[in-house]
Amino acid sequence: MRASLLAISLVLAWAFAAPASALDSREIYQLNEDRVFQVRVLNRETGKKSSIGSGFIVGDGQQLATNYHVISQVIQEPELFYITFVGSDGSEGELSLQGLDVAHDLALLRAEQALGEAIIMSPLPPGGAPIFAMGNPLDLGLSIAVGTNGGILNQTDDSRILFSGSLNPGMSGGPTFDDSGAAIGINVATARNDISFIVPSRFLSDLIEQASGEAYDDSVDMKAEVARQVLAYESRYIEQVLAEDWPSLELRQFKLPGVISPTVRCWDNSSKLSTLVQYKRYQIRCSNQNHVYLDADNQFVGRLIYEYYWLETDTLNPIQFYNLYESLNKDQIDTKPGRDIVTNFNCDTWFVEVSSQQFKSNLCRREYRDYPGMSDMLFTAALTGHADKGFFITLIATGVDFDSSLPLIRKFLESTQWTP
Amino acid sequence: MDALILEISTRGLHRYEALARGVTRVGRALDNDIILSDPTVAPHHLQILHHPDDSIELINLAEVNPTRVDAMPIDTQHIGKLPVNIEIGRVHAQLLPRDYPVAATRSLAGNGKPNHLFGPAYWALVLALLCLLASGLDFYANAYSSFKWIELVKHLLRETTLTIGAFVLGLSILERLLVNRWEIQQMLTSVCLVYLLFMGTNLLADNLDYLLSAHWPSGLLYFGWYLVLIPVAIFLYLLHISHLPRERSILLALLIASPIALPALLQSPQMQALFDNFSNAASYHNQLSYTNWHLHDEVSIAEFIEQAKAMQPGKPAD
Repeated sequence: MRASLLAISLVLAWAFAAPASALDSREIYQLNEDRVFQVRVLNRETGKKSSIGSGFIVGDGQQLATNYHVISQVIQEPELFYITFVGSDGSEGELSLQGLDVAHDLALLRAEQALGEAIIMSPLPPGGAPIFAMGNPLDLGLSIAVGTNGGILNQTDDSRILFSGSLNPGMSGGPTFDDSGAAIGINVATARNDISFIVPSRFLSDLIEQASGEAYDDSVDMKAEVARQVLAYESRYIEQVLAEDWPSLELRQFKLPGVISPTVRCWDNSSKLSTLVQYKRYQIRCSNQNHVYLDADNQFVGRLIYEYYWLETDTLNPIQFYNLYESLNKDQIDTKPGRDIVTNFNCDTWFVEVSSQQFKSNLCRREYRDYPGMSDMLFTAALTGHADKGFFITLIATGVDFDSSLPLIRKFLESTQWTP
Repeated sequence: MDALILEISTRGLHRYEALARGVTRVGRALDNDIILSDPTVAPHHLQILHHPDDSIELINLAEVNPTRVDAMPIDTQHIGKLPVNIEIGRVHAQLLPRDYPVAATRSLAGNGKPNHLFGPAYWALVLALLCLLASGLDFYANAYSSFKWIELVKHLLRETTLTIGAFVLGLSILERLLVNRWEIQQMLTSVCLVYLLFMGTNLLADNLDYLLSAHWPSGLLYFGWYLVLIPVAIFLYLLHISHLPRERSILLALLIASPIALPALLQSPQMQALFDNFSNAASYHNQLSYTNWHLHDEVSIAEFIEQAKAMQPGKPAD
């Protein structure tokens, strides 16, 4: 009920507040320069900036919205870091953390006093419409970047808008406006020149609604809260993936799960056939794009990767072929978090019958030390018993509840069909 | 007491001098009866008097590095019971009765049998060829991207021949220094046997790894190889080929093996894990085998998932 009322009021407010004609970047800048702030994470010992981003006034006028990744250091080491804002007029103040949406990289901060008038939020304009991103790039001062709306990306689980403008470091957490001057999202990331990403404002609206009136107090274990949110998101995501009807793809003698979710993209990584090479290999690698920022060590979790690797030969003898086959059986998770962040892997081996074929299967898990219940999972399975052909399945899921990742492996194996 | 024998220790075979009754002069000067060219021996160092009544008397003549009997410096010393140890400068000698028993005869390498591996020279060549063959087969088995004969020849020359040659040469020089003999043929036979044993045990350990779905057989081989097999091979060589005493063979085997073993052990993953017990890599059992001999039961997907639920979390590093 509260959500509906808020949504209706936002839409009404936007409708009444919207000027009759479209605003240009100069007008949007002038309209919002007092409502967009630089958000700083400062070291208590040195008093100097450790990281910077942007934020803007939302909610009751005492709240600032920004990205989770802008202020994540405070969650890692609250005794060492704290958050402040700096306005375009030079005003400064301390901020406390009021709400988090880690899965969508959002944070809600609270100032000790009212900061000004909240920026109105609105739904996404049509594709190709001009949109304007404001923020403080590279600590140089307030700036506005102009681009167009590329639409919501389903490969990011609908959590990102493609923006054709250029976001730069320091602009994270700033608002992105439509041409009526309402915020349609929050700047979050860039891929390369003029390919940037915006978090849709509806997630921020949800966060504002869910956040209680008070900031988190010191008794809250913020890392456990981050883990809870990530795990809830990942479990929901895996459930959605499992609920889908998985289309199949064919790779030589196997029928395999294809694009199992709209968040997944698959690429062919097969090697070029060369006269020198005594074997052929066909490789398909699929991965999702809805990664979740975890902490200041730039750890992203929420990765789902699966890979198929077919190998065959007409010329190698079985000993040579198995030496080759074994040398390729070495998949690893490519992120390298430190010993303070994760445990060692624990691995075990099974010989599993899949569609009348035997697979030598290895399952490994490691845990995130500061995030209770969060694990990385690595599963590999290698076809056995054929002298001239081999096949690997690799499945990787990071930042998941280990037990909730097992049904994914089960469905993968059950969906794998051998064609004699 | 009959005639006496003075046994003088040298790096190679000992030197034995029969002492007539009367006075025997020992020293570095050329007018001595027994000349010791060691610079720590005085020109006239020692007189040995073998009296008609069979009593023996030693008279020290050296001012520098005086003669020591049973580790004690002497001026004049009557000898009651033989044998007696004498130090003349740094030269060790022993005064023995002529009927002093000697050790049993050691048999020649291969017991003199014509077909023994350590007997005829052709066995050394056969074993060397077997090493090249084993190495070549190993190269061929791993040449899955492309196989070229010229690469095989390069491998055999660069890797196998050089490795075996370096060990044979190095250990032969060591043997020359230790026992004053060259035994290239026996050394080549021994090194080739060790090389073939290494190749064979490696193959066995790989298959055991797969059979048991475990890493410990190859780990055990790695440690067993450097800590046991190499020292034992050297010990057996020193004992049976070089005919060194047992205790000395053990000590020398450990000394010779340690420069090979210590770096290898320090670089082993297990030893590295003692220094750093954290790894970002999942150490899963990635071996694959065409024979597919394994002791693990095959399980269904449902059984696998059920068993996987019991997997323990990873262990944190210190």
